[in-house]
Amino acid sequence: MAIIAPPRIEPAFYGPEKSQLEAWLDYHRATLLLKCAGLNVDELRTRSVEPSSLTLLGLLRHMTIVEQDWFQRVFAGNEITLDYDSPSDHNADFNDLASATLEEVEANYLRACAMSRGVVRDAGLDDIAQGADEGFTVDLRWICVHMIEEYARHNGHADLLRERIDGATGD
Amino acid sequence: MQEPDRHEPPNFGTERELLETFLDYYRGTLLVKCAGLSDEQLRQRAAEPSTLSLLGLVRHMTNVEQNWFQRIFLNRDVDFVYSGARNRDAEFHDVASASGDQVEEDYLRVCEESRSIGRSHDLEQFAAIEDERDHVTLRWIYLHLIEEYARHCGHADLLRERIDGVTGD
Repeated sequence: MAIIAPPRIEPAFYGPEKSQLEAWLDYHRATLLLKCAGLNVDELRTRSVEPSSLTLLGLLRHMTIVEQDWFQRVFAGNEITLDYDSPSDHNADFNDLASATLEEVEANYLRACAMSRGVVRDAGLDDIAQGADEGFTVDLRWICVHMIEEYARHNGHADLLRERIDGATGD
Repeated sequence: MQEPDRHEPPNFGTERELLETFLDYYRGTLLVKCAGLSDEQLRQRAAEPSTLSLLGLVRHMTNVEQNWFQRIFLNRDVDFVYSGARNRDAEFHDVASASGDQVEEDYLRVCEESRSIGRSHDLEQFAAIEDERDHVTLRWIYLHLIEEYARHCGHADLLRERIDGVTGD
């Protein structure tokens, strides 16, 4: 089992704000899967840029709960249990990989992304998050731009992790 | 290089406010990742086989700023700081004699010019010349630069951690 490289669409060069944000977010969702594609689970669990503890599988799990947290919990105000929540380890998404199966990680990730797309589709960029912590006001526009930069930064990590696993590089 | 003055973007606002502040946040982040290191450390290829170095990244983003804001958006005849954006990768590789302070000075000057250009045009305005396939809007340039900076700052995170163990956003 390996992740199959998804189709990835370059964002259009012009268009309204919301569709541009959605397009860049989807571009980076696909990029993360591209960086994982074709590797076996042991390679995906490899800390290939030590001393960093980052792994490609850990990044995929991390972005799964980041999607759930920002779009479902914070913005939509849904009461949800994050997929990789552990009371004993705040970074369980990154760290607790020994028993993680690729099928489950990929399925959870794709499901979380689909849920996020639905949340964004039905809302306006000026809409204020319903589930943010007391005293914290954040709108959907900020969440979308933040998610693009968070993905892109982690995809930068993924670039170097991948290059040191099998030499593969590229946008 | 010095620790820059870096501001967190506001948590809500107009499109322009968020695009300008996120881009500036990442311009600052790249310098945060370089701050306090010697020139020798800044030139180090710390995650081989990758040829990336922190100094190469700052030089690259200098050219990227000039390319998008000055050359493509305004169609200026740009004197690129590092031998032209068309000469692929020279800015990454020719770092042997580069000084951190000079690279920082050029970078800050180019970023200030980009800010001035960005501020004075509408986000829906099309670039004066085509990129490889089509005309981009200023909105696209902002979003692209935010994600390009963020991705390179991801590279910078791992380079820095391998140089002296320092991590953080």
